[in-house]
Amino acid sequence: MGMLTTSGLSVSFGGKRAVDSFDLDVKAGSLVGLIGPNGAGKTTTIDAITGFVPAQGSVLFDGTDISGLSSTMRARTGLGRTWQSSELFDDLTVMENLQVASERVDVRGFLRDLFRPRNDDVSELMVILESLDLADSADVLPTDLSHGQRKLVGVARALAAKPKVLCMDEPAAGLDTEESQTLGGRIRALVDGGLSVLLIDHDMGLVLTICDYLYVLDFGQLIAEGTPAEIRANSKVITAYLGERHGGGSDPTGDDGAPVDGAPVGEVGVGE
Amino acid sequence: MSTTSASSWLTPKRIPALVAGILGVVLLIVVFANADQTQAIVLGLGGGALIAAIALSITLNYQGSGVVNFAAGAIAMYGGYVYYGLRVNGQLFLPPIPNPLAPIEGIAHLAGASSFSLPHIPVFITLAHPGQGAAAFGTFVQQPAMPVWAALVISLAVLVLLGLAFHFLIFRPLRRAPVLAKVVASVGLFIVMQAVIVLRFTSSAKSVAPILPSRPVHFPRGVSLPSDQMYLVLIVIVVTIGLWALFRFTRFGLATRAASENEKGALVLGYSPDFLAGVNWVASTVLAGFFGILAAPINQSIDPITITLLIVPALAAALLARFNSFIVTMAAGLGIGMLVSWIQLVSNKSWFPKAGGSALPGLTDALPFVIIIVVLALRGKSLPTRGSIETIKLPFAPRSKGAFPATMVLGLATIALLFVVTPIWRLSIVNSLVGMVICLSLVVLTGYVGQISLMQMALAGIAGFTLSKVADAHHIPFPIGPLLGATAAVVVGLLAGVPALRVRGVNLAVVTFAAAVTIQNLIFANPSWSGLKGASVNSPSIFGFRFGQNDPWTKLTGGGKGLLPNPWFGVFCVIVVMLLALAVVNIRRSRIGRHMLAVRANERAAAAAGVSVSGTKVLAFGVAAFIAGIGGALSGYRFGSVTAGYFGAIPSMIFLAYAYLGGISSVSGAMVGGIIVAGGILTTVFTNWLHISEQYTLLLAGIGLIIMAIQNPKGVAGAIRDGVHMIRRRRDAKGAVSSSGADSVPVEVAV
Repeated sequence: MGMLTTSGLSVSFGGKRAVDSFDLDVKAGSLVGLIGPNGAGKTTTIDAITGFVPAQGSVLFDGTDISGLSSTMRARTGLGRTWQSSELFDDLTVMENLQVASERVDVRGFLRDLFRPRNDDVSELMVILESLDLADSADVLPTDLSHGQRKLVGVARALAAKPKVLCMDEPAAGLDTEESQTLGGRIRALVDGGLSVLLIDHDMGLVLTICDYLYVLDFGQLIAEGTPAEIRANSKVITAYLGERHGGGSDPTGDDGAPVDGAPVGEVGVGE
Repeated sequence: MSTTSASSWLTPKRIPALVAGILGVVLLIVVFANADQTQAIVLGLGGGALIAAIALSITLNYQGSGVVNFAAGAIAMYGGYVYYGLRVNGQLFLPPIPNPLAPIEGIAHLAGASSFSLPHIPVFITLAHPGQGAAAFGTFVQQPAMPVWAALVISLAVLVLLGLAFHFLIFRPLRRAPVLAKVVASVGLFIVMQAVIVLRFTSSAKSVAPILPSRPVHFPRGVSLPSDQMYLVLIVIVVTIGLWALFRFTRFGLATRAASENEKGALVLGYSPDFLAGVNWVASTVLAGFFGILAAPINQSIDPITITLLIVPALAAALLARFNSFIVTMAAGLGIGMLVSWIQLVSNKSWFPKAGGSALPGLTDALPFVIIIVVLALRGKSLPTRGSIETIKLPFAPRSKGAFPATMVLGLATIALLFVVTPIWRLSIVNSLVGMVICLSLVVLTGYVGQISLMQMALAGIAGFTLSKVADAHHIPFPIGPLLGATAAVVVGLLAGVPALRVRGVNLAVVTFAAAVTIQNLIFANPSWSGLKGASVNSPSIFGFRFGQNDPWTKLTGGGKGLLPNPWFGVFCVIVVMLLALAVVNIRRSRIGRHMLAVRANERAAAAAGVSVSGTKVLAFGVAAFIAGIGGALSGYRFGSVTAGYFGAIPSMIFLAYAYLGGISSVSGAMVGGIIVAGGILTTVFTNWLHISEQYTLLLAGIGLIIMAIQNPKGVAGAIRDGVHMIRRRRDAKGAVSSSGADSVPVEVAV
């Protein structure tokens, strides 16, 4: 039994099955990748797991069924997520963004704050920012940051809630190769520190290098799962990606330097 | 967010049909029940046609430009007045246009040349002269100055120009603005149109001669209907069918429908969304104005308020049709009109709820509110939102530094002023202080959480009436009475705010506005509560020290009676404002403030960060209602009474204007908002120093609001803040000046 398990997870949009009966398992302290061409249902899967779209099937988090909980309650039980487009709170500083995720509001605390606002301790959050090289940006508004830094603030905000499982939706999208590799190293370090991660990314080099286990979706269907080595050799996966490549005409050079030389899957990096 | 959904047959799409069906069945039963009720229902058709026309205008606007136009009723009223002025007086009135020569004249007057005069921009353009003879007896027996057709043609031309002006001057610049800015602009338009009419025609009703032939048409079972109402219904049906056909069968209509879903859709069809929006603005303005012209004679008179407020039932009708179907909009408008008329009839029956011996008023106004709530509650978020990109952000909510010393300095300075200035100024300071409290409540709700409320003055009224009718009536002493009132405001605010958990943006503005109209008519106008004169409020006292507005007081120096109003009441107001201002600053600086801004910025991301979105909103509604309630109690003490007119829906709207104009997302903005409220410090500056008539302040507020919505969502306070930042940055760039000495100077901007 893993930290995060779905069984028969299905999402329909107006009769179309975006995710079809998906069984997924993220074991404690593991890094699980979820890949697939555009429109495969990857983000919808994360939305369903974190409670942002209505879904059928069950979602078990640390052994308890959370499929009846609101997205807020799921977040509070320790299921964090990041967003494809960061979705930062632009009116709050970077540190305040993190504080939103780490602090709870209760009526007594609120009434006290009306008269004498607490100086909340942010040293733990500062550690998170330091670990992501964001310490200098703590008092900056997110709008003043670079795209790559914004993505990192998104990750930092998710970490500020001290999640047990973190679902990351394309954290490396829009980053250059070097940034992407650094980020990969950081994600791996978090997992080695005990966090369980479900990672979506189009950078196949990144995913195949750092993940322990992979699921491959296409048109809402699970077409393959296994270790990176198994996936690299899987003919169904290759076909799905080649089809995507012929149809989409996307940039095939997204994974320079990734150690998957010659593997057909590795050649396809779908830029967004 | 979870997997729950309504039972399968009750899909959102079926709700309008369902509601319409139920209404239809009820009506039919009543129709067959007895003849006088049938007659009442039929007589509601005329009013219903006007509601339907305004609702159609709203729908057209929404389809064309994504704006829910709160001013649609005001446009209909304005059209009616344009026609009235032409037909009766032969004059085309002009809105007040600033005269570039006026300052020169003013300077000359200041220099003592009081007879010096330069050309003025005319108020009216006279196109025809009233008929001979009866002018001495006033307008009542006056011959019309202009034939119907001429007045009608000129009026429609004016309406076309107005529609173009609305598009190009107001809503085109706002096409990428957040919903709040668009709502605020349409509220500004509402205020401007009403203010212009009051300036030109006063607020008393004018009698108008009929346009359509008016003779009774008889139907079976003794039912009859004046023919003008019948024509009105026929015209609205024809217009509806025309609109339906236009949107159904023409490329233009298709492009508008496409644009209302996604603006790219219109581009694909070869139309610029901008062009479509402009055409639809003209069409909707002409439509509303035309029916305003036709419908005014049915009541034999026109006034600045009656038609304007039909915006509420019209919004209910448009909402029922999801701002989408013209046919449903029209049917709903007619239906509401007939129901209102029926309720008016049956209110004479013995079984009807009574208040103070006569029929409970306001139920006709409550009806649209009930419809709106039911539709929105059942339908939830499924109301279409427009697929356009918002590039203009909501005003920034700064985390203030040095708020405490700034508040102390300003507060003590104001207290000192209260004892020095003349009574006129003392009164205006108190008015501003009361206004600041209401603006502070909007800072929390609208500024921090982004929830648009058009009912804050109604909530203030709840507190005021509770203070009068519950606390004073039961001899509950001073500090408890107003707190009790504020608590009552919280209860009502939460009740009306609960739908906010399901609706957002402009829909919430619709709900709260309808709530304000309902509270005003159902509770404040209830004769057993207030009647026309209002309910009295005892002056506050503590330990036997009475410090009400009109309690006598002894001068601090030299003894003797001081002039009223009593400055100690002002001191009390200052203390209340200081406490509330610091509390609102503290909200922004603490956890709950961060959560509020997170909800405002991005509800999904806030939920993913573990923030309870609905909990945060409920808390904000409660806190804002409490603050508004305190404001209501203060104004009750200030006037010695509470009245329905002071706390109604339009004052709520106007207060949103003041708060937005001052700067809705900061405490300093609320302070500025208080300064500019009607009767406040700025009004006195205008009337006493600049000799600008008080009536113009509302007009200026409306115009300022529109400009602010377009130019600078940060409000006056934000503009000052930006200015200070710029000066500081320039100074820092020079690097020569030490900062220690300068920090103590611009106190008010630091709040």
